[in-house]
Amino acid sequence: MKHLKPINSKARKIAPPDDVVALSQGPAPQSGPHIPLGCTFIFSPGWETDSSGGTAGLCTPVERDLFDCHNGCFWPAQVPDQLNHAPDWTGKCASAQKDWRKIDLIFP
Amino acid sequence: MRVARSKTPWIFAAVISLPLLGFSQQQTTPPANPAATADQSKEAKPKPPEEDGIPVTSDVVRQACGSCHKSDEKKRMTRISARRTTPEGWQETIRRMVSLNGVQLDPETARQVLRYLANNHGLAPEEALPAAFEVEKQSIDYHYSDKDTENTCHSCHSMGRVISQRRTKSDWELLVAMHRGYYPLSDFQAFRRFGPPQTTPGPDGRPPDNRHPMDKAIANLSGAFPLITPEWSAWSANMRPARITGTWAIAGTQPGKGAIFGTMTIRAKDGADDEFITSTKLTSARSGETASREGKVIVYTGFQWRGRSTRAASNQASPDQEGLREVMFIDRNMQSIKGRWYTGAYDEMGLEVEMTRIGAGPVVLGMDHPTLATGGSGTYTIFGANLPANVAAGDIDFGAGVKVARLVSATPSEIKVELNIAGDAKIGYRDLFVSGVVKERGAVVFDKVDEIRVKPQAGMARLGGANFPKQFQQFEVIAYNYGPDGKPDTKDDLELGPMTKVTWSVEEYAATYGDDDIKYVGTIDQNGLFTPNVDGPNPQRPRNANNVGDVWVVAVLTRTGKDKDGKDLPPLRARAHLLVTVPLYMRWDTPEVEGGK
Repeated sequence: MKHLKPINSKARKIAPPDDVVALSQGPAPQSGPHIPLGCTFIFSPGWETDSSGGTAGLCTPVERDLFDCHNGCFWPAQVPDQLNHAPDWTGKCASAQKDWRKIDLIFP
Repeated sequence: MRVARSKTPWIFAAVISLPLLGFSQQQTTPPANPAATADQSKEAKPKPPEEDGIPVTSDVVRQACGSCHKSDEKKRMTRISARRTTPEGWQETIRRMVSLNGVQLDPETARQVLRYLANNHGLAPEEALPAAFEVEKQSIDYHYSDKDTENTCHSCHSMGRVISQRRTKSDWELLVAMHRGYYPLSDFQAFRRFGPPQTTPGPDGRPPDNRHPMDKAIANLSGAFPLITPEWSAWSANMRPARITGTWAIAGTQPGKGAIFGTMTIRAKDGADDEFITSTKLTSARSGETASREGKVIVYTGFQWRGRSTRAASNQASPDQEGLREVMFIDRNMQSIKGRWYTGAYDEMGLEVEMTRIGAGPVVLGMDHPTLATGGSGTYTIFGANLPANVAAGDIDFGAGVKVARLVSATPSEIKVELNIAGDAKIGYRDLFVSGVVKERGAVVFDKVDEIRVKPQAGMARLGGANFPKQFQQFEVIAYNYGPDGKPDTKDDLELGPMTKVTWSVEEYAATYGDDDIKYVGTIDQNGLFTPNVDGPNPQRPRNANNVGDVWVVAVLTRTGKDKDGKDLPPLRARAHLLVTVPLYMRWDTPEVEGGK
């Protein structure tokens, strides 16, 4: 619609300039998430919460994603990485989602 | 775990940033051509003074670490001489050298190495105290002054790990290099800038800063946390073994339990000037429950207390196998010691402790119920140490409007008194006077509870119990009176402390459609302790989801009395947000600093 320009008062009334402007601006800025406990050693936003500070956006269940985290060293302070700290961490379970009870807590 | 959707830039940076883990790196590869290296060093420009490093004079350390960490003619060893940090920081490094770099150390040698490095490459009190929350395992909101540095570091670990380090500039660079080497994804997650460089000048007209985040962080940290500081120069010259043997009075607060009072006797361990044996007697002021504890302590750098205590053998009613870990800081005047004692799988349960040296005179610690309602009366207990046996009612003074009607009983550690509080007593904090000693703000006179708040305002628990341990969350209600002006949030508001007679419940925090979190996350008891549900996928839940969720924790206080119109005071209600989330699969812990279990 950018090539059309209202030239009289009736046309100006039906023209939707605000919508066009709004679409070109992108989404409105979000307010800050509600994050508990700040940045302490036990808290790492994103592991515990999603971008809104809640749990609705987390990967579900967490066990489904553990292999990926482990193999890709994706969360090196939260999940043992296969490069260094625990190469055989998932050795006892073929599928974390089924065998998650066989996963050990690692003390690096 | 990755976030399944909405990978906003914020989440991307926060989720996966791989920051400074606070370790030094071992130099594992000797130079291929020593002669060439020597020539290069001759041509190198002279290093600034802070690059000199701290000589390592311990033969044990030189022998244990010397096969990889090379030494120069001034006994400065690579990496080790360029760093100072807490005992925990050094212990993390020693653990990593053993687990990843193949160092073989027997436990006794490792203890000696740790003690030497923590004492001689340690922190001054002025440097350690701002980072105390890290070693005390406190869950606090901490914000570092430089946003770029914070974003680079804090998403995987606390900024506390960072601000408890002092390094030369080249060692900060090597630390970042270590992270990039061990965790290759860190480049993509936090350390490097992606996308085209910015060209638009900033608001001040200066060209944009297109450095990588890691370079900004190195510049900031090497300026803010250099190896050589006036504080460390002064403290390392003045440092000496702590002279803390004797008897100390303890005043603590434990969320969910309230005030804890007691005494600790500290005696030196034979043959050591930095190790101590402790015997502690504690009384919970609210419940009257008592406990005896035995412990051992190592004091690093002349002021950093690292201890562990367990219930005394005579008290088998409540087994306490793990014990309480003690992280405290001895004041420079050696008259007070402050810190936190904690336990729990995530160090989440504990108490804040302040100890005062007991001299010849009496010490007043506090009361069982320091809130004195106008028009009320009752028996109250004053806790202390060395309290005079022949105290009289006239020796105790709460100020105008509070009458000490009768002295019920008196021992060196407890005085019971009967108090009458006048209906027209002025509300406000009252200093408590006992036989020539004043406890400032030892009590508070109030007419009614005007407001309650749940503490903490944002709590967190972790699922556990099936395969991984639970992280509990203790809530408590703090009551407030609006003060003489009757208006909320003004400077004369009176904090009345924790309230016990509240009703706790959990309510839904609507984050998604059909939110059903409260059915799964766990339960809260009537003492404010939230116990999370078990870990693992839950087949009863859509998508096999874990029992995670975020909910409101709600406290309701029923009040007695009438308002100015003669109507019953309505109940007060307050709430806090609680996040119940997934476990951690790694535990970065250093029990060795307190001598192990």
